[in-house]
Amino acid sequence: MNMKRTISVDPLTRIEGHLKFTTKIENSIVTDAKCSAQLYRGIEKALIGYDARVAQQVTQRICGTCNYAHAEAAALALEDAMGIKPNKNGQLLRNLIVGAYQIHDYIFHFYLLSVFDFINIEAITTYKGSNKNLVKMKQWVESEKKSGKIFPISPFLSQYKNIYSQDEKLNFFSIDNYLEAFEIMLKLDKAVAIFGGKSPHPVTIEAGGVTTTPTVLSIEKYKALIEEVDIFIKDIYLPNIIKISKEFKEYFNIGKGYANYLAFAYMPDENGENHLFEGGTIINGEYADYDLEKIREDVKYSYYLGNDNAKPLSSTKLTPIDYDRYKSEQIKENGKYSWSKAPRYDTNVMEVGAVARVIITYNKKTNKKLNALVDQVNKELNITFDEYNSVMGRHLSRAILACIVIDKLKKDIDKVEPDVNAYEEYDIPTKAKGIGLTEGTRGALAHWIETDKEGYIKNYELIVPTTWNISPRDAQGTPGVVEKMLIGTKIKDVENPIELARIIRSTDPCMACSVH
Amino acid sequence: MNRREALKKFYNVIVAVGASSFFTFDDLLALENSQIKKPNLIWLQGASCSGCTLSSTNIEDISFTDFILKFVNIIYHPNLTIHTGYDVQHTLNTACKELNNDYLLINEGSIPVQLPHACLLADIPYVEWIKKMAKNAHSCIGVGTCASFGGITDMHGMDTGVASIVQVLETENIQKPVAILPNCPLRPEHLVYTILYFIKFGKFPALDVYHRPKKFFSQTIHQSCSHYYEFKEDIFATKIGEKGCLLELGCQGPVTKSDCMITGLNGNTNNCIKAGHPCIGCASEHFPRQIMFRSYIDDRVITPLKKMNFAKK
Repeated sequence: MNMKRTISVDPLTRIEGHLKFTTKIENSIVTDAKCSAQLYRGIEKALIGYDARVAQQVTQRICGTCNYAHAEAAALALEDAMGIKPNKNGQLLRNLIVGAYQIHDYIFHFYLLSVFDFINIEAITTYKGSNKNLVKMKQWVESEKKSGKIFPISPFLSQYKNIYSQDEKLNFFSIDNYLEAFEIMLKLDKAVAIFGGKSPHPVTIEAGGVTTTPTVLSIEKYKALIEEVDIFIKDIYLPNIIKISKEFKEYFNIGKGYANYLAFAYMPDENGENHLFEGGTIINGEYADYDLEKIREDVKYSYYLGNDNAKPLSSTKLTPIDYDRYKSEQIKENGKYSWSKAPRYDTNVMEVGAVARVIITYNKKTNKKLNALVDQVNKELNITFDEYNSVMGRHLSRAILACIVIDKLKKDIDKVEPDVNAYEEYDIPTKAKGIGLTEGTRGALAHWIETDKEGYIKNYELIVPTTWNISPRDAQGTPGVVEKMLIGTKIKDVENPIELARIIRSTDPCMACSVH
Repeated sequence: MNRREALKKFYNVIVAVGASSFFTFDDLLALENSQIKKPNLIWLQGASCSGCTLSSTNIEDISFTDFILKFVNIIYHPNLTIHTGYDVQHTLNTACKELNNDYLLINEGSIPVQLPHACLLADIPYVEWIKKMAKNAHSCIGVGTCASFGGITDMHGMDTGVASIVQVLETENIQKPVAILPNCPLRPEHLVYTILYFIKFGKFPALDVYHRPKKFFSQTIHQSCSHYYEFKEDIFATKIGEKGCLLELGCQGPVTKSDCMITGLNGNTNNCIKAGHPCIGCASEHFPRQIMFRSYIDDRVITPLKKMNFAKK
């Protein structure tokens, strides 16, 4: 019997922000998918008229999880317009802030947001050991069950009914790590605050460096925090993902995108050169340098008026559709359906994020540590880069990157010179343009700034990682990256479409960023 | 660790957030033995960035999970809740009926009113959810500057026409106690204190005209600043890294009320001014200002960009 169903999930929890997705399913296979970003604020064009330095503080508030990346990109864009680079201390402190926050973000994503897509949380009731975290959790669950509340065990209740890990030890190990992850995040937030002033939303990253002057004490404090996190990353986080990958091996073949990747160079040395991760593109398996001139954005299926195929900074106004128009688009067969725009590279739909960074850097052979770690992991799991284009490949890539980044932080902290300024002041450039490129947790991030004759912002543009990944169809009707990943997926139980949730969460969507 | 030691750790938190004057060790024991009721919490996100959520995990001394298991029942939180999709709508609708007048509604982010479809949950404008959930709540808390004053979601030239939680309740004539906790992001100590006070007394601590707890928001950053002495002595920094008060670099401390300089940030690891940066006024009703960080010689005239100052319906 030919069964046709439409499944709409709204909201998808345990991601950043507001996402709805709708899929058409025929004979248990997804034949069509639409991802709808459900939030709009309009920050980039609202910046017009504000001081150029305001961009750093405001754009980092687009996102509570990748704020550091926007702060860095905005500072880079203004530095590009100024024609300057930070001094050595400035660059090092910037690396130390963004690197620590990025690792925080990987742990946040894997443990808080994703781990219960694979791990059976109910296993806790069968725990018989003496681990204090697990005993505490078990006692709590038991008392909740007896409590007679309407929502017992909330918020940890009702996973999709499906197959979760059958490995008792892995379940306990992962739940324990989930609880410990909060404490590791706390340490990383402190590490960010040491040079960033506070976390989230570090204030100190300005065009010209970092306003904090490091001291012997602050350097030692940072080191101590990072040492503790290092153990968690290498002895717990990476092994945890490898164990889950072994049990869910089929997820190396589920959730495949276009395999076209884009990444920007990221994490330079103290001179602002020799980046830890390389930039570039891979299209149809061919590596090339990136060319920003090829980037365009379409709005045919986005809740905006305006032209398709628009270049960055080509307009100073972004016009949202009104409520009546929104309602009429909702009932159209082929109407607009997302607040996200559709960025494209020529006509290619590009995936950004951890996999893009791993593959592109590996391809350039400039980071020996990364290549060695990738080779080792691939051998252990018996996989190739083809399998990185998958749910598990994306989780795995983040853990690999976390290992590489933390080693870099340990190296950079030793190069910081105490009591030497990390910031130099430069005049705000008037009638100037600049571009800031970096990698956020979720991938390639670009800021464009244009200033007027007084140094106020004349125009601003952001093309953000999740906009690339979660984009709706473009003007030609080509689905976005995550939509492509969903199409073709086999669903075991349409009432409990865990496969779709696993695919989307594996891309770590950040909706607040995507719509900005 | 035995039970008493564990409780002592929790008590340290109560002391750290400044709640020990009313929340005693005996209260903690009573909570442990279910003699005091834990409040139900429903956390919703409007035009937000999850920054306040992440910030609230930065509770010193205890892990966030310990906090939520010990002090509150989280009925729904977008980043923590395991279930998804339709189950969320079901939970919210059920809570509305079954927990009438028995939950705290926490609102993160501002509430788009002029452009209602600018924030949607289950294809229903977020403002409708807030109205519905607030009507049946015991009390409401707006966390972060966006929820309190619009913040970066209420800049000049925006189309969304956002309102704060206080404004939505006023416009809709929903008479529920409401507190706001500005700062971008929310300071976890403020939230923990407010919730502990609520557990003990069933109401919010004393609030000012904006509905901010007076305990945290009666002094400006400037009044409690470590550079206050230099300000009095007319010693002003002319560039970053120089000794002196940061006023001439654009410091917003004199027009921003919060206790950042007293308790410090991230468990007193640092604060913005200590990190060499002028206060950007993130807790202020004027945030974000047109110029947040001036150089000493910057002689541009500020032409205040009018914030929309909260949409009227």
